[in-house]
Amino acid sequence: MTTLATPPQETNEPERPALITPRKPKVGRWALFAVMVGVAVVMLYPFWVMIITSLESEQQFLSGGGFSWLSWSGLSSTIPVGQEVLSSTIVCSASIFVILCVGLPAGFAFSKLRFRTSTSVFLVIVSAMMVPLQAILMPEFVNVTKLGLTGGYFGAILVYAALGTPFSTFLFTTYFRGVPDELIEAGIVDGLGYVGVLGRLIIPVAVPAIATVTVLQFIQIWDDLLVGLLFIQNTNERPITVGLAVLAAGRTTSIPELMAGSLVSALPAMIVYLGFQRYLVKGLTMGIDR
Amino acid sequence: MAEITFDGVTKVFGDDIKAVDGLSLNIAEGEFMVFVGPSGCGKTTALRMLAGLEDITSGTLSIGGTVVNNVLPKHRDVAMVFQNYALYPHMSVEKNIGFALKIRGDSKAEIKRKVDEAATILHLNDFLDRRPKALSGGQRQRVAMGRAIVRNPQAFLMDEPLSNLDAKLRVEMRLEIARIQRLLGVATVYVTHDQVEAMTMGDRVAVLRDGKLQQVDTPQHLYDRPANEFVAGFMGSPPMNLLRCHVRAGKDRVQVVFGDQVIELPWDYTSSHDLPPAGLDVVFGVRPEDVLVADAQSTNTLKTRVERREALGSEILVHLSLDSSSDTSQSPRGELARPVALVAKMGPRQKIAVGDVVFVQFAAEHAHFFDVASGETLRSR
Repeated sequence: MTTLATPPQETNEPERPALITPRKPKVGRWALFAVMVGVAVVMLYPFWVMIITSLESEQQFLSGGGFSWLSWSGLSSTIPVGQEVLSSTIVCSASIFVILCVGLPAGFAFSKLRFRTSTSVFLVIVSAMMVPLQAILMPEFVNVTKLGLTGGYFGAILVYAALGTPFSTFLFTTYFRGVPDELIEAGIVDGLGYVGVLGRLIIPVAVPAIATVTVLQFIQIWDDLLVGLLFIQNTNERPITVGLAVLAAGRTTSIPELMAGSLVSALPAMIVYLGFQRYLVKGLTMGIDR
Repeated sequence: MAEITFDGVTKVFGDDIKAVDGLSLNIAEGEFMVFVGPSGCGKTTALRMLAGLEDITSGTLSIGGTVVNNVLPKHRDVAMVFQNYALYPHMSVEKNIGFALKIRGDSKAEIKRKVDEAATILHLNDFLDRRPKALSGGQRQRVAMGRAIVRNPQAFLMDEPLSNLDAKLRVEMRLEIARIQRLLGVATVYVTHDQVEAMTMGDRVAVLRDGKLQQVDTPQHLYDRPANEFVAGFMGSPPMNLLRCHVRAGKDRVQVVFGDQVIELPWDYTSSHDLPPAGLDVVFGVRPEDVLVADAQSTNTLKTRVERREALGSEILVHLSLDSSSDTSQSPRGELARPVALVAKMGPRQKIAVGDVVFVQFAAEHAHFFDVASGETLRSR
């Protein structure tokens, strides 16, 4: 009698996939979490100190405890905080308006219109992004002084717009390169000119890019001290950062009042950031998936 | 509605890249003209010149008898449907369709009436409030069509409008576009690389290659009487079989010599084609459906071997090599394979297997001869 050798465990069943087991938390993940908590603490601690200190009187701050609204009520009498916040808002809004008015059409032209020198002009503009503010501050100051614009808002607006436009042009160009040409051509065949296409078709689809430019420029301009200090010489038009610097430079600086002022200064930038955060992430990552 | 005339239209990109070379073509009022050809043949450039999206290097282009070479796109009164639809993403379907009318300055009531009319034709009434991103590919395509038809333009221009759709939807939309075009009777130029679309949709088809018009004719005539080897090979799926051979006029018959095999065709070919009695090397063309299986005892056959078999359900495509061919190569399974010379279309129940020796005949009245050097047909005009 012969016996048949059985083949080694051969079946017709398809091989089953291994059961999915829940991933065990790894040491690396915990370490990453710890690092992130540490970074968050480092970032948030100054805010905590600002909030706590601003809610103390001068005496309580020196003696190390207590609660008082004195620094907040005294802030407006020490510096014209309302006027300064308004000045910062005017300078920020006007600068961003100019930046958008120049950057949007420029980005559209560089990305969608064909003209001979487009690449070289674009490279020159982009290279302007690499020039630090401090390097061109004095020439700018001389020019703006010659124009007689160092007193009020206009000089600062001009400088901020000049500094922000290369970045916004670069960002809009990158963004518009991802917009299909057919969208523009459809508008042209439908009866629009290039200006119409920009206004009625491109700007509505460029909201993430506009938000990105707005937020980044707002934070940069709102927090800037140097340009405001040099170019806005009228004391009743100075921005909040200059006001705080003046407060800090005083001979009898009240630390709780300074902290209250700093909070007032920091809040708008934070609100703008949080409000536009959704678009900001989208705007900054655009182009990656194309 | 108007006729369109290309008269020696040329487009040169840069210094020497001729995208369209002396295109002369007349598209009648209400005609559905299809531009077909492989990628880079100039069909889209020709369409874009018609739309005004590309400048014309030389020649004249007229719409309705008016030369439009220097007329802005918005003044040409043409509507275009793009490959990726190009819908305005921030507008609802209703606003997308009515946008051109709004720009034109039509009244709100007029826009509403026309949009509703277009939506009814395109079965879009239920989607008018939606944004394009909330629509399927087919619905987007219909919106793009709606945007074109609502303007009642002089001409429709369509740039591969079905290429982003799946196969089933493409067939549906093909019929839909043809129906709408016939309903509206507007001259239409339709660009595609898909010869099935060209054959099924066009009143006439213009075949382009390297910027040059190869042939323009009705689909059936183009299929039956290709002007050259390129058109013969491009139109039809699978394409026409094209074989190098020697032709000589025999006694009452035309002899076609493939290596050491000879078949004979009716003498009529000498009157309809320029086939010199002294003999000539030519390219012989025969459509796959005109390759017929014959008995081994039949005369006037070619002995072939089955190299590959593709069952498509409704038919079988059989790839044949000439049995006399001495060129062989090793297949992955170690068998000797010969280069495929012919593809035959056979019925689904044809008993045939790889390696079989098959005798084939050609439907005598459907043979084509092309000049070896120029590729032009040898058919007498």
